[in-house]
Amino acid sequence: MSASASLTRRGFGLGVVAAGLAIGFRLDAPARAAGEVTPMLLANPKLDTWVRVTPDGRVSVTTGRVELGQGVLTAMRQIAAHELDIDPAALEVLSADTAASPNEGFTAGSMSVRYGGEALGMACADLRATLLRVAAEAWGSEPGRLTVEGGVIHGADGRRMTYGDAASRVSLVRPVDTGARRKDPTKAGPIGASLPRTDLPAKVFGQQVFIHDLRPEGMLFGAVARPPGYAARLISFDEAAARAMPGVVEVVRDGSFLGVLARREEQAREAASRIAEAATWENGPPLFGGAGVFDYMKGVPAEEKVLHRTAGEAQGAVRLHRAEYRRGFQAHASIGASCALAQWEGGKLTVWSHCQGPFPLRTDLARALRVEEGSIRVIHAQGSGCYGHNGADDVALDAALLARAAGGRPVRVQWTHEEEMAWEPWSSAMIVRMEAGIGGDGTPTSWSHDVRSFSHNTRPGQPGAGGCNLRSAWYLENPVAPPVSTDAPLPAGAAARNAVPIYAGIPNQRISSHFLPEAPIRTSALRTLGGYFNALCGDLFIEELAALAGKDPVSYRLANLTDPRLAEVLHRAVRLSGWTPEAVRLAPALEPVMTGTGLGLSRYKNTDCYVAVVARVEVDTRSGEVRPLALWAAVDAGRVVNPDGLRNQVEGGMVQSTSWTLMEEGHWNAHRIVSDNYADYPILEFPGLPRIESAIVDRPDQPPLGAGEGSQAPTGAAIANAVLAATGRRVPEIPLTPERVRAALLA
Amino acid sequence: MARLTVNGRGVEVDVDPSTPLIYVLRNDLALNGPKLGCGRAQCGACTVHLDGQAIRSCQLPLGEAEGRQVTTLEGLGTPERPHPLQEAFLAEQAAQCGYCTNGMIMQGAALIQDQPGITEAEVLEGMRGNLCRCGTQPRVVRAVMSAARKGA
Repeated sequence: MSASASLTRRGFGLGVVAAGLAIGFRLDAPARAAGEVTPMLLANPKLDTWVRVTPDGRVSVTTGRVELGQGVLTAMRQIAAHELDIDPAALEVLSADTAASPNEGFTAGSMSVRYGGEALGMACADLRATLLRVAAEAWGSEPGRLTVEGGVIHGADGRRMTYGDAASRVSLVRPVDTGARRKDPTKAGPIGASLPRTDLPAKVFGQQVFIHDLRPEGMLFGAVARPPGYAARLISFDEAAARAMPGVVEVVRDGSFLGVLARREEQAREAASRIAEAATWENGPPLFGGAGVFDYMKGVPAEEKVLHRTAGEAQGAVRLHRAEYRRGFQAHASIGASCALAQWEGGKLTVWSHCQGPFPLRTDLARALRVEEGSIRVIHAQGSGCYGHNGADDVALDAALLARAAGGRPVRVQWTHEEEMAWEPWSSAMIVRMEAGIGGDGTPTSWSHDVRSFSHNTRPGQPGAGGCNLRSAWYLENPVAPPVSTDAPLPAGAAARNAVPIYAGIPNQRISSHFLPEAPIRTSALRTLGGYFNALCGDLFIEELAALAGKDPVSYRLANLTDPRLAEVLHRAVRLSGWTPEAVRLAPALEPVMTGTGLGLSRYKNTDCYVAVVARVEVDTRSGEVRPLALWAAVDAGRVVNPDGLRNQVEGGMVQSTSWTLMEEGHWNAHRIVSDNYADYPILEFPGLPRIESAIVDRPDQPPLGAGEGSQAPTGAAIANAVLAATGRRVPEIPLTPERVRAALLA
Repeated sequence: MARLTVNGRGVEVDVDPSTPLIYVLRNDLALNGPKLGCGRAQCGACTVHLDGQAIRSCQLPLGEAEGRQVTTLEGLGTPERPHPLQEAFLAEQAAQCGYCTNGMIMQGAALIQDQPGITEAEVLEGMRGNLCRCGTQPRVVRAVMSAARKGA
């Protein structure tokens, strides 16, 4: 058995199975016209790609979705078990591997259960129906007269046939029958149960889970000697000195890409750091031409587009209200830095990666390494939570480049935390300008929202003419430059995600974007892409309109909503909080400490889960410090596969968003991000934690909606609106740092 | 050659005594519990117990662990004989990605040792140096409080 095969099998207990298909496709926009299930099954039509029965009778399902800590493999297990009438624990659940699994693109954008789960469920329904037909035929019975319990088919006369027996009599090598009848998802079963996460015991007992824990025999450690800035070029370095450093076994230079292989991890890190320090680099021009980022964004040419317009009854506005909101760069700031393991054997590369899309990563690895895609296999293995496009893909190329010099030995590279923070893609700084007409009774008569932003999606595997979105490819002797960045269209959108207001009752809407395709600081997807800030701005703005109208924020919102599911979560969150809404008083006299309650409401991507959040905060008006006291949320995600898993995602998003909203902002020098550790880029600590409660509006009769990223925007909006409610003053820039709040209070 | 006791077993490692303990535990002794996080004692992912005290193994030179008792997550409890806090983490499903989980459990276990009456405020303060990016802190607090009440 080769080292890679044995790693695959032993490494994670996940293994690989089944013949796979590799078809590229895009999922930016939900293909709703074609039916919600079809994209995954169109790309991966073969039944045995999704589900198989092993010769010893076990049912094995394979998803192209990957575990990022969101519990997706547990949810997939429930969906499959539900359709198959089988104990969830009896199933084998395998995840993405370019040699074996369905190609489901990226595990991102809260689409796993909605699309991937529906496809897997359909395949399992097909399998169940097929095996029932086999038994019925064998017994001269009708499938409708048979039942299944625990993976055993029962006839009316007491006859039994296991799934294994039935499967041995029929070929499953054929396309999925998308007409197979699904089990009623509202019937009691694995769907809807809070099945404990199957991956947690290993994490709680320190068993091997992460790539970081893989230690194949003969493994070397790699590290990259990073330039002093993003645009820097390597002029020279002392190779002999580098080779003489403790533990160093190989030094790799390819253009301005410089790295080492060492026997020990700390030796590789130390050597890379010393080599980088001693090398001669030539820096590029200063970032943003030395200007502030918001001035820069307004000064450079932008692609301007009108994305959405509605007509409406012409109504006279008696006045206009305008606002400009800003947010700086924010980071993924994963606790464990990105890691990959790579091994070259006879011209074939195997990479273990915790990326979100093994297939797209393979595409860009092939472009960077100038080899055929077919000679690369990418196997997903878990890493620290990524929250979007962090360094996971980049480090895979670093490991592959260094492993090329390792003479067939496997190479593990784990970035340092500083490296992750400085070199991963950040979430773009954004400027949102809003304007509304206000009628005589305070009602909005028009609404415009313009978002100015760098890209929110520079992930690998972009379709079209090539280019490579893996960082080190840009520094090679024969570099492969990144493709020109584009913005994704609505309804999902990227920079303009959630720019269309949920307040559909407002006439004369105009949504536009100023997209900046070239980013001096590399940017890409952080959870929600532009959705967090756009939805937050929309909700700050409506709160201001309500305050100007002298109306309370709940009734003012309700008057402009048309979707009853939004109204329902709004009512539920308000009830949960016990808050009695009242009109915000603008600019009252300041007291030393002021408390306030605010509201946030959104429907993620305008197509997925509905979330309302009520926040109570305390503002110390002397220091400007905002202390979040409590957050209450209500979520409607349609049919819920795992209620505890949903709560974990919703509440986790609330904590994360509290951190984004109050604390997080990157800083840079002339050449690179310098907020590269938790002292310079702090995130929320335990003592800052608000009390958190959430309620699920259960709708078992409705299809599941993406829910992994639904709470961030309404949480941010609720906190910012609570600051407005507390102080009667608006703070137009996120994060709401003490200095910024203090400045707004004094303005 | 450095001699130390890890999870009750005497071990000898031939590594430079200035090497941070985390690398020895993970790469020489093949222990997965302690995680390499920030490498600056800012995140807590690498927490282990040194003579019963929670410390950051990314900052402790191997030489300073010589002759002392090191306990990692693997030594705290096992699936067969779990520590009450490990049980509580499973009961509360107090994780998402699980990368910080080692530090949360090791810090929490040291914090509640013989403190059944520990308050929530004390737990929040005692866990200050442990970061979670997934946002599972409310669950972690519930798990720590519940294990404390059971007399962990």
